[in-house]
Amino acid sequence: MNSLFGIPINSVMVTLLAVFGLGVALTAFFALRSPVLFRMAVRNIPRRRAQTALIVAGLMLATLLFSASISTGDTLANSIRIQLLKGRGLVDEAITSSARDATGQPAGMDAGVVGRVKDALVDAPVDGVMGAYVLRAPVVAPTSQRNEPRVQVLGLDPASLSQGFEPLEDADGRVLDLAALAPGEVYLSADAAESLNAGPGDALAVFLAAQPTMLTVRGVLATRGNGIASMAAVARLEQVQTWAGAPGKVNRIFVSNDGGLVDGAEGTDAVEAALEPLVEELDLTVDPVKRDALTTADSAGAAFTSIFILFGNFSMIAGILLIFLIFVMLAAERKRELGIARAIGAQRGHIVRLFAFEGALYSLMAAAVGSLLGVVVGAVMVGVVASALGQVGLEVHFAFRWQSIVIAYSLGMAVTYVAVVGSSVRASVLNIVRAVRDLPEPAAHGAPLRALWREPWLTARRGLGQLARMRPGGLRVLTLGMVGAWMRLAGGLARGGYLLVVLGVLAVQAGLAGEQLGVFLLGLSLVAMGLPLVARHALRLPDRIAYTCAGVLVVALWILPWEPEDIGLPELSAGIEMFVLSGVMLVVGAVWVIVYNMHFLVEPLAWLLGRGRRLAPVVRTAVAYPMANRFRTGMTLAMFSLVVFTLTVVGFIIAAFSSAFEDTRTFSGGFDVSADVSFTNPIPDMAAALAAAPGIDTAQITAMGQVSGLPVRIVQDETENEPRDWFVTGVDAGYADAITYGFVLRADGYEDDAAVWRALREEPGTAVVASFIVPARSDFNVQVGGENFRLEGFYRDDPSLPEVYLTITEPTGGASTRLRVIGVLDEQAAFANTVVTAHETIAAIAPVQLPYLGYQFILDDPAQAPAFAEALEKGFVANGLRATDLAAEIREQSQLNITFNRLIQGFMGLGLVVGIAALGVIASRSVVERRTQIGVLRAVGFERVMLAGSFLIESSLVALLGILTGLALAFGLSVSIINSIGESFASVEYRVPWGTVLLVFGIAYGASMLMTLLPALQAARLYPAEALRFDE
Amino acid sequence: MAPIIDARTVYKTYEGGGLEVHALQGIDLAIEAGEMVAVMGPSGSGKTTLLNTFSGIDDISSGSVVIDGVSIHDLADRERTRYRALHMGFVFQSYNLLPVLSAEENVELPLLLAGVRQSVARGRAREMLALTGLADQARKRPNEMSGGQQQRVAVARALVNEPAIVWADEPTGALDSETGGQIMDLLCRLNEEHRQTFVLVTHDATVGGRAQRIVRMRDGLIESDERLAPVGDRFA
Repeated sequence: MNSLFGIPINSVMVTLLAVFGLGVALTAFFALRSPVLFRMAVRNIPRRRAQTALIVAGLMLATLLFSASISTGDTLANSIRIQLLKGRGLVDEAITSSARDATGQPAGMDAGVVGRVKDALVDAPVDGVMGAYVLRAPVVAPTSQRNEPRVQVLGLDPASLSQGFEPLEDADGRVLDLAALAPGEVYLSADAAESLNAGPGDALAVFLAAQPTMLTVRGVLATRGNGIASMAAVARLEQVQTWAGAPGKVNRIFVSNDGGLVDGAEGTDAVEAALEPLVEELDLTVDPVKRDALTTADSAGAAFTSIFILFGNFSMIAGILLIFLIFVMLAAERKRELGIARAIGAQRGHIVRLFAFEGALYSLMAAAVGSLLGVVVGAVMVGVVASALGQVGLEVHFAFRWQSIVIAYSLGMAVTYVAVVGSSVRASVLNIVRAVRDLPEPAAHGAPLRALWREPWLTARRGLGQLARMRPGGLRVLTLGMVGAWMRLAGGLARGGYLLVVLGVLAVQAGLAGEQLGVFLLGLSLVAMGLPLVARHALRLPDRIAYTCAGVLVVALWILPWEPEDIGLPELSAGIEMFVLSGVMLVVGAVWVIVYNMHFLVEPLAWLLGRGRRLAPVVRTAVAYPMANRFRTGMTLAMFSLVVFTLTVVGFIIAAFSSAFEDTRTFSGGFDVSADVSFTNPIPDMAAALAAAPGIDTAQITAMGQVSGLPVRIVQDETENEPRDWFVTGVDAGYADAITYGFVLRADGYEDDAAVWRALREEPGTAVVASFIVPARSDFNVQVGGENFRLEGFYRDDPSLPEVYLTITEPTGGASTRLRVIGVLDEQAAFANTVVTAHETIAAIAPVQLPYLGYQFILDDPAQAPAFAEALEKGFVANGLRATDLAAEIREQSQLNITFNRLIQGFMGLGLVVGIAALGVIASRSVVERRTQIGVLRAVGFERVMLAGSFLIESSLVALLGILTGLALAFGLSVSIINSIGESFASVEYRVPWGTVLLVFGIAYGASMLMTLLPALQAARLYPAEALRFDE
Repeated sequence: MAPIIDARTVYKTYEGGGLEVHALQGIDLAIEAGEMVAVMGPSGSGKTTLLNTFSGIDDISSGSVVIDGVSIHDLADRERTRYRALHMGFVFQSYNLLPVLSAEENVELPLLLAGVRQSVARGRAREMLALTGLADQARKRPNEMSGGQQQRVAVARALVNEPAIVWADEPTGALDSETGGQIMDLLCRLNEEHRQTFVLVTHDATVGGRAQRIVRMRDGLIESDERLAPVGDRFA
């Protein structure tokens, strides 16, 4: 993987290392200036080993997620690289004629061009140039009666092969001499040999035309490279030229650059530059196959890394909350000693430094553990990916690079350390007397705004005054002092809600200007949060009312099904980031509402449980603590609900798609079996051929559609785009009549989907296109792979389809025609091609008679599809017919999707560790913090089991509230999400994923209780007198 | 009449860091029901250890403590805890109220532990708070009250289930002299009205002077046992 979020990996690494280095240098500088504080920080770490372990576990999560995401991306990139490089070997560029033959393949060139290419590259970093001829044909092995419809028949020049290219070898490593092949002999690739069950000496019938050419297998190739495809038969160049009827011609020229398998691509720029005059003169195309393969592999790896990092965001946010909580609790634990330190002269800055030092040390440890553990988690994820990708034929090869570890470490360290410093600043705010006497802090209201407004001016005046008196402190006051004064003012404005309103209004404007729904809704949320806080500050609205209003407004904003267009605003674009944003905002809103109204929920529960007399005192104390510690309860609730929310929403999405895939005909367009034949040996009249074919009962065929295809140059009219090589599909009337695919957009005048399909055959020059080549305002898909042909000027989620025309030009003859787009297929049209028109429309511009090569069948009994497909293949072996049971294919594809979704769900589930760890931290911290109270409770009659029960009920309450909040939000938001998906994917259903819900509930709740059990038992074991004597 | 507290040769030794501290070295003490006894002595003399071990919130190393006929240290932890809930009340120097509960909730806690119904417990807690002069503070949390008010809540909590014995460890230690005096007035009044046994640990001679009997300790031993007035005469 060479890039992360589009930035070159080395730049990312160097930048992060620089940030990391700067952080370490600053920490070291301050440590040298304040060695006592540093010593205190170091000595605090081993004071409570179990707690230190919990802290490190909590802090390492961010790094672990980065590391796992990056190592998964590395592995996938590596696997795709290996796959792609297998076929290319040492070939770095493939040169072809820009002209195309009737099959869409590059036209043949005079073999003399090879010499001219060699001459042009004499000074370039090249070690081999080789002419080749490529054909594709169905192949039948008469002995085994197996066939392969698309086998590459490749002719290579033996003399050139030995100069800069890889030798051909068999499985034992013996070199297979190409020059030694007799006429009619070929070497078969290992995959083709396995598929055809053919070996040395076996005969092959190759359908280069209607009549087969009989060949003999001389050996089986273990190696590929040299442009050899997975399914290939390799022969001498002149032999293939003869079969193709093109003596003295080549249609490929392979170039091998200096260097090895991967670094050869570095010479591609020089080769392209050297070939430029020849390319222009002879109208050639230079395809940088190696560089493209590496780019494709890296972009796929980077896309996977981005997906995992994106979905890992929830866990990371929860992790940051945990870091904050941990440090706030550490500060509470050491309140008395911090108070004493402040009393004897320590500044707030010293306290910040003390925590920052300690946090830095924890972060260093945690990032190290996290980055290494992330590789292990990545390996497990790769194992799952491997089993899923095995189904599509990609072998997974685990890989990680030291750069990735460095990036994960630095990134994790940076995130952790920023959170640590933020929480240190909060921890440093304490009242000395209250801290020394260990009294609770009153609710923080901060200094009055009026005073804060004056502070920057007063600070400036003081600084200038000192400068005027030539005092050195003046400069410090004017710099650091001013920054502090402005920050305090900003803090005051934020507390009062004013800053939120201002930022919100700015974000709303930015969202409207940039047509970004996420920014717009974020802005509205900030305003919704800010206004009640302003009322609280300005009108003395009680906290509970203000925060409840703010929370309710935010939740309503995100959960209610409304669109900006409903209030007269323009349609705004949305992407996958909406998922993260909605989750965070909903959780913030819900947590505010709950923590400020918890008594409404908890007191009836306490009353109910308290009716059992033995339970009454236990429940009373258990519910009192979470209600009194709003901050802690809120943070823990947020962690739990955020992760549970995301896991459940993904569960809903999986369930919705699973339900959609139950009706496979929705995705196959109503067809049951799909078949295709080779261009070299088409079936002129399929209906007649079926009737004549043995073993096929035509009575079971309800409908049949026929499909043709034409390679074209395509461009959207009235755009500046260059024409692109593309493939347009033509369908017959049978197909248009039978197909059931629907449309997300129809042109005016077509009242329903059937009308569009009818028009395709009745109105020449009309076409429909696949949804993925039309941009969407709300696009939740993540693009993996290269650039596609895409339309522009409208969106698939627009209310109507404008006039859109495409011009297609047949590349060899130059005939062209204009297509009017009358429909955009919905996302369920899985087997439709990108541009579909009537067969007659493309046949009219084809240079030769255009045969049908694809066939779709609807059967009387869909259950007969496998048997029918098998009978088709047997009946049309000579045509290289390959038939597919569409329902099975769709189910397989659906299973692959579900495996990936489950993997992402599992990855997101790592965030649950955070919530569980938070409860563990709180419970173990509570035992220390409440030691004296535990002593009192035991003294006045709390039995051990009651005390343990009280701790467990307390954690239960918080965990249950968090889990149920997450579930409630997920149940609510999923309605909108499924409806939104349903707009382009009609067959999805809102279905509750009870399995996921119960699993998430069970794991989250069970693990939380286990985590609390140890501290609860620890509390119960305390001896009352010992607890009462306790003074930390 | 048998004493309500009858301690015989009680030893208590703390071990830790390779050191042994002999906090109680063979204490014999009998306290009659209704007595208000002050245990006094310098720091480290074993006053608090005596209170902790006699009340059963700490173990003894050897000897026996019999409370109202029950050998408290022969009880299992569960029974001993239950015994405390039903028969004892505690007042601590630093109040030790539960900060997350309101005054009335703190006071009703021992009643709930004794199995009294919630509604009844709440009523009794309010009555007790009224008796200690805090009827209007019932819904406040400890951090919203003064030290004296918090200690009154602690006293109310100690007495709400009408325990036979009230143990008070430096009940006025964290208060100014005027508030401390008010608390002692309250304790003496309640002792007089309810005839409960009070054991006060203090190093304050004024507090000691309000008791009927002063037990002085030094180095884990009883140095003197002085009866200031017979039970009943003091409030005559």
